[in-house]
Amino acid sequence: MRLMAVALLMLGVSVAAAGSKSARSIIDEVEQLYRGAASEAAITMVVETPQYQRTLKMSGLSLGRELGLFRILAPKKDRGIATLKRETEMWNYFPKINKVIKVPPSMMMGSWMGSDFTNDDLVKETQLIDEYQLSMTESDTDYLITLTPKEDTVTLWGKIDYRVSKSPLLPVSQTFYDDKGVKVRIMTFSEPKEFDGRLMPSVVEMTPLGKKGHRTLVIYDSIAFEPPSVTKDTFTMRNLKARF
Amino acid sequence: MLAIKLAYRNILRQRRRSLLTGLSMAGGYMLFTFSLSLLEGSWTGVVDIFTLDHTGHVQIHKDDYAKRPKMHKTIQARPQVEAALEGNEEVTAYAPRVYAAALAYSADKTSPAKVIGIDPKLEPGVTRIRQKVSQGSFFDSAPNADGYFKAMVGRGLANILKLKLGDELVLISSGADGSIANDIFIVHAIIGNKTSFDRQAVYLPLTAAQTFLTTGTDVHEYAFLVEDKHDNEAIAATIAATLQTDLPSLTVSPWQVVEATFYRTMQSDKQGNYFMSGLIVFIVFVGVLNAVLMSVLERTREFGVLRAIGSRPYQLIRMIFLETTMLAVISIAIGLALVLPVIAWFTYTGIEMPQPIDMGGVDFTHMKGELSLYVLLLPMAFMLGTAALISLPPGVRAARILPRDALGSH
Repeated sequence: MRLMAVALLMLGVSVAAAGSKSARSIIDEVEQLYRGAASEAAITMVVETPQYQRTLKMSGLSLGRELGLFRILAPKKDRGIATLKRETEMWNYFPKINKVIKVPPSMMMGSWMGSDFTNDDLVKETQLIDEYQLSMTESDTDYLITLTPKEDTVTLWGKIDYRVSKSPLLPVSQTFYDDKGVKVRIMTFSEPKEFDGRLMPSVVEMTPLGKKGHRTLVIYDSIAFEPPSVTKDTFTMRNLKARF
Repeated sequence: MLAIKLAYRNILRQRRRSLLTGLSMAGGYMLFTFSLSLLEGSWTGVVDIFTLDHTGHVQIHKDDYAKRPKMHKTIQARPQVEAALEGNEEVTAYAPRVYAAALAYSADKTSPAKVIGIDPKLEPGVTRIRQKVSQGSFFDSAPNADGYFKAMVGRGLANILKLKLGDELVLISSGADGSIANDIFIVHAIIGNKTSFDRQAVYLPLTAAQTFLTTGTDVHEYAFLVEDKHDNEAIAATIAATLQTDLPSLTVSPWQVVEATFYRTMQSDKQGNYFMSGLIVFIVFVGVLNAVLMSVLERTREFGVLRAIGSRPYQLIRMIFLETTMLAVISIAIGLALVLPVIAWFTYTGIEMPQPIDMGGVDFTHMKGELSLYVLLLPMAFMLGTAALISLPPGVRAARILPRDALGSH
């Protein structure tokens, strides 16, 4: 009896320990999915509004959390428009006018390339772990991690609910709340596919709840991880402006 | 007839008093008419300034674009709209427009700008834009040798961006399809001055603006002018009725709606003026009432006799009424004859202002009046009405006179 009690106690302790540890590691692991140490992706972005639907083809390069380079390949009119992300800074390049324009802090909440993603999503998405307090509950199939901003975190969100499926360990959805606790937008992950040996959701859908009929789909057509061509030198101003 | 004859003779019995009373009425009429003429004239001038600068007399938009402009609220059925405008004889000119907010870049400066796409052929028919070109020349739709389209830049923006003719101007905006509109344009003209409505504007040829903003052939606005600008609200309603069946989503707004704030200011200023004019008329007619009352009192005996030989009370009331209104008619006729040349001169020549007032690049050099039936008839009707009204109390008094008392008085 006593032995069993001790065993139960120990089990309890270890579960608790695993819980607090894994909230962080789960997010880390899930976020890592899309990025790896380095990645090269072919992406289709579909922006839907009540007025129009627009489909963009683009390439996305990333190295770690800090560096990213996106280029629009189609439609032809927009071909060559590119975005470079370095740490918390962003620049857009427009080939037609041959101009690099830094995205000012005031524009961070502005739409990225006309989509429902903000510039801020691209820059800050990867800093969830550092800037938010994590707490976790779990059901049979899912982990539900609630992220609340730390005191000194500057953010728009009062809370983020991050749902991750247990097996396989994949993100399911992120629900963003404002500081009054009202749901503002939902990002869902679906259609898992195997890319370069890793299983990951191939479709990310962003739905702003305040704007009826608006949504953005990001569809990963292919991802290659750790491609040798992607190095730190890929993410330079020069490359931002390079023809391709 | 007899009553009129009697009234006429009664007026002439006390010539000096009639003359003075008449003069005060004529003066009141002239003052009222003249101030109304100047008021209408100057407001019409101000209304002309902005209707002919950019607003037009009437505008057509999709839904509530005028209040809440959105890139996607465009007018698509342009042929139908243009057919409706061309089919209306009152419409003298129309112009389609496209609007967008943009960021403008020169070599090393940046500024927000308002992009206005205009039809180079139609726009000068509606607005004074051609006269507002202060440097360079009015543009056309054709691209230059390098394939860049021409732009006309407001003076304010040109100063901020330090733009000269022939310079490259980069515009970034968001297109109707959600894309990022970005292109280079060549400065072909500089428009207006630093106080113009369009000082921050970049005018592009309509087709270039539509390509830039990916609006296809759609436009955001039609502005048009009408034959008689005072009639613009009625014509707007006619056009709206024409468009209603096929294009119920379009809104036709006269400038009174488009520039609602200004319109309310103008109306309240006019009301203030009416009140002042009313006050003048009131003071004039207090004097007139006094004169009429006096003439009734001094004729008490006479009225007693009239009653004694069988005049009905209403006949006495009618006589006083006729005396007063006839005097008013004569006075107003004299007043009209005197004020008409003055108003006409103010309308067609006007006082030259020592310093021309600059309204967005168009100079206003003269203070003008307005010569119209409204300006002449409104004070006339008002004064005759008041004259008729104030003749009643003395008339009633005369009618109440009892022959027995009257014959005993002096």
